[in-house]
Amino acid sequence: MWIELLTKVLIAGAVLTGILSFGGVLTWVERKQSALMQDRIGANRASILGFRLLGLFHIMTDGIKMFAKEEFIPRTDHRVLFLLAPFIAWLFSLAAFAVIPFSPELTVAGYQVTLQVANPEIGLLVAFAMMGMAIYGVVLGGWASNNNYALLGSMRATAQMISYEVALAAAAVGPLLIYRTLNMQEIVIRQGQLYNGWLPLWGIVLQPLAFLLFLVAGAAETKRVPFDLPEGESEIIGFNLEYSSMRFGAFMFTDFIEKILVACLTTTIFLGGWQVPWLADDGFRLGGALALELGPMVVWLLRLAAFGIKVCALIYVLMLVRWTLPRFRYDQLMSFGWKFLLPLAFLNIIVTAAVVLVLNL
Amino acid sequence: MSEERKMVKVTIDGNQYEVPAGTTILEAAKSVGIEIPHYCYHPGLSIAGACRMCLIEVEKVPKLQIACYMTVGDEMVIYTTNERVKRARKAMLEFHLVNHPLDCPVCDQAGECGLQNYYMLHGLYISRVRENKVKKGKKATQIGPHVMLDQERCILCSRCVRFCNEIPKTSELGMFNRGDREVVDIFPGRELNNPYSANVINLCPVGALLSKEFRFKTRVWYLETVKSVCMRCSRACNILIDYNIRRPWKNDGRRLSRLRPRYNAQVNDWWICDEGRFGFDFVDAADRLTVPLSAAGGAQAHSGWEAALETAAARLRQAASEIGDVAVLVSPRLANEALYLLKRVLAEQLPGTSVAFSSLNEHEPTQDDILRKADKNPNTTGAEFLSLTTANAEVKDHAYLLQTAKKGNLSALIVIAHNPVGLPELYGRGWSEALDKVPFKVFIGTNENETSRKADVVLPLAAFAEYDGTVTNFAGRVQLLRRAFDPLGEALAGWELLRRLGNALGGEYDFGSAGEVFDELAQKEDKFAGLSYGDIGELGVKVNG
Amino acid sequence: MAITVKKIDASPKMNLLERTYLREILRGLWITNRHFVVNLTRHILNLFRIKAKPGAVTIQYPEQHRGYHKRLRTAHYLAHRENDDGPRCVGCMMCETICPAKCIYIVPTEHPDPNVEKQAVKFTIDMGRCVYCGFCVEACPEDAIRMDSGRLDICSYSREGMLWDMDRLLANHHDPAPYKDEEKWLDEEF
Ligand code: SF4
Ligand code: SF4
Ligand code: FES
Repeated sequence: MWIELLTKVLIAGAVLTGILSFGGVLTWVERKQSALMQDRIGANRASILGFRLLGLFHIMTDGIKMFAKEEFIPRTDHRVLFLLAPFIAWLFSLAAFAVIPFSPELTVAGYQVTLQVANPEIGLLVAFAMMGMAIYGVVLGGWASNNNYALLGSMRATAQMISYEVALAAAAVGPLLIYRTLNMQEIVIRQGQLYNGWLPLWGIVLQPLAFLLFLVAGAAETKRVPFDLPEGESEIIGFNLEYSSMRFGAFMFTDFIEKILVACLTTTIFLGGWQVPWLADDGFRLGGALALELGPMVVWLLRLAAFGIKVCALIYVLMLVRWTLPRFRYDQLMSFGWKFLLPLAFLNIIVTAAVVLVLNL
Repeated sequence: MSEERKMVKVTIDGNQYEVPAGTTILEAAKSVGIEIPHYCYHPGLSIAGACRMCLIEVEKVPKLQIACYMTVGDEMVIYTTNERVKRARKAMLEFHLVNHPLDCPVCDQAGECGLQNYYMLHGLYISRVRENKVKKGKKATQIGPHVMLDQERCILCSRCVRFCNEIPKTSELGMFNRGDREVVDIFPGRELNNPYSANVINLCPVGALLSKEFRFKTRVWYLETVKSVCMRCSRACNILIDYNIRRPWKNDGRRLSRLRPRYNAQVNDWWICDEGRFGFDFVDAADRLTVPLSAAGGAQAHSGWEAALETAAARLRQAASEIGDVAVLVSPRLANEALYLLKRVLAEQLPGTSVAFSSLNEHEPTQDDILRKADKNPNTTGAEFLSLTTANAEVKDHAYLLQTAKKGNLSALIVIAHNPVGLPELYGRGWSEALDKVPFKVFIGTNENETSRKADVVLPLAAFAEYDGTVTNFAGRVQLLRRAFDPLGEALAGWELLRRLGNALGGEYDFGSAGEVFDELAQKEDKFAGLSYGDIGELGVKVNG
Repeated sequence: MAITVKKIDASPKMNLLERTYLREILRGLWITNRHFVVNLTRHILNLFRIKAKPGAVTIQYPEQHRGYHKRLRTAHYLAHRENDDGPRCVGCMMCETICPAKCIYIVPTEHPDPNVEKQAVKFTIDMGRCVYCGFCVEACPEDAIRMDSGRLDICSYSREGMLWDMDRLLANHHDPAPYKDEEKWLDEEF
């Protein structure tokens, strides 16, 4: 019992630390990637004792700057809400990681260990719920700012996030019909099958359209370019207008965390989660025959790495999109969400359901 | 004019005109709007014919003639702009510039220089001079209290020499040597110190004679100009006020840059005296009163207009109800509008106030037959027309006021633009002690002085060039004073100040501008009957009375 | 030339594929992706001292200079006279007059030498307002104010710091170092 609790706490700590550090690194990645895409060098000036380390210290300087900056708090009746809002957003997006299965189960000294904080039967719903809650941070932030621009910004943001959440959930229904489970670990395991003994039956293979829809809706849900109207830093003024210092930092950091979250969810549902193609529990198998035998620890590590690599690749794509496409206009954004994404998602559900019914999968 | 002057017919540049016989061609052309360039000719001086800039062609006369000297004849046909004249002008200009230094950048005349202007209008040739310029005497020497001479720049038009000979008749200047050595200079042992000396600065078409005071202070193209009249004596000569408010770092922030004479045949012709020309230092002086002061708790301290006026009104009312007198020492330095409002406010709000008048002030009563009058106030006649001077038997003088105050019979005293404490030789001794016996004293004026320091309430008055208004000169001519810039600090124009004081005393005086005050004045006061502010114009009008 | 009316179809018809922009989006992503990969490869090659083209076109400004064109207008300075050390400026205010930003403030006075007559006692340029038009240089009859110092780093922590007074302007001078040699420019441009 105690041991179990301790491992849970340790795992939760590991996930939390991992995600937060990864979020920090992403600030650097975003800068460097965009720089490379644009033939620039990117931030590289922060140095410690003359070492610049490719600008990695900028992560630190950003943090120090955020904390050291003057905090401006507007005169508002909702001071507490104003102060809390960024952390609400931050908290809920972090909480969603509790159900992400980063690795399969591993038996160590008789104990079952998974890099997954909790594995409820309705894991996917928990993740969606947490993502939905994050909207509150945005709403409250804009409302408590006592500033019309911030309020309008937050209305815009809310409308967008809620609209795309519908599409996001609808896109996920297709694969769920096939997997017939909401348990995250289970979803990943279902994707371990091979078709004809050679094609891994990942979500992306079964539901390519759903994958695309999910990715797009996810990008919109997390306010990424080309859907970054809620922020629109300098031009259209967003919900975070009145925020400064670390509270602004928290909002910004939430974005990075949500980006990881979307990548993790997509990986889990569509990219086979921790599955490595043709890697079974005892080693690589080709055509049913064991090709390379591997110890359980090695397999576990390989699968963990596979999850990480898939997440990184998705983030790369998201960033590539961010630094390539211009932003939508608000009406385009809305009609795209409601008139394009959502109908397609529904269509996907119907077709999938029909196929599932006919083939009696 | 008793008999009609004979008119003659002339043709100038192809058009027929009728002009009086005996006028010069230059004046005749000017009267029909044709400008003939000239340097040495000046309508106020004798004709010299020295510069040859005014050459024009007269039909049937073989050589070009000088327009400034030749008079019109009947059926004369004159060309002022044909090729021959233009060539001659160019050539004359070239002559003038042969030995003229090209130091326009450091020359104060630049921007209003005759050579520059005519070069742009008529010259525009490329220099052919290969020889060195003849260097004349010294550069920039001071030849009088106000005038600097630079012989190099002189074009020998002799206007300055003729001026000194003919107007002040002091003949300090002369032409020396001949040919390209000829220079203008001061006679040995003399100094250009006649009371009108600075007029040569305006007469000089180039930068040879420049003002000591104005020198290097700013540049003429930075200046803005309004037409006004001088307030230094009762002639009220017409002037131009040149001021600079857009570049306050110039001249230590002084706004008023210089005064120049303005032609008015009825008043001052083309001239003004040096006292008037340079007598405006007080406008931007450090001792200007810029905020209302009130000495309620002992020392004079800054207070807002509301507070100062309320204190003054309350104390004046209280004093009026006490045994003893409220008295006002009026100054003819105030414009007509302020004097009129003063009269009205006193009659309506403080009836029974005794009015005293004095035309004394700190200036020496210099006078001559040219312009200067001994009365160094601009508006004594205006005060007289408003029966505010001792010509009115009810109005006392400063001596009477001193006696009453000494006896302790004054409960309040308003001093307007006078300094009796500081000038005991003029106003009589004992003012300081006498004022101590007056329980409440108001000072209204532009600059701080010994009297203002003794006052309980000090109300700052806008100075010359800071307000619009009218003054009546010694001959009964009403002329416009024009506002060039805003009053310093919180100072107010006289009429505005008295309007507010009147309102504080309980009246209702609702004037929006000096013009409105004047128009009411013209209706109520016989002497000014029939006048209106809008009709006064640049040259003023004579009062009927 | 006669005026003719040219009809331009403002909204060209697009087919469905074009209207989804999918192809263009993918093309765009391909371009940015290609840059990323190519530049990353170059950076890595360079890191291991294998000669490759530089991965970025950035100039590391304070350390690296582009080399200024000789006609570039840089921070002002007031030149000195050849023989003695006095400033060339005669306080004529031509520059102050022409300055469209109204950022030159001159207070002149008498010069001890009557042949010079005039000089500036105060000469201040508000570098924060200057628009670097160079009109002042053009207007100066004495070639006293110049803009070839080669200095562009004029920043300051306060507005007052942007006011360059006469001492500072006289101390500043022409520095040939930041200028590119002329031939190079000629090569490039003509
Ligand atoms: S460069 Fe232009 S704006 Fe700057 S000081 Fe000279 S004239 Fe003024
Ligand atoms: S234009 Fe030249 S000489 Fe004249 S004030 Fe300016 S810097 Fe001095
Ligand atoms: S104006 Fe006629 S000669 Fe000078």
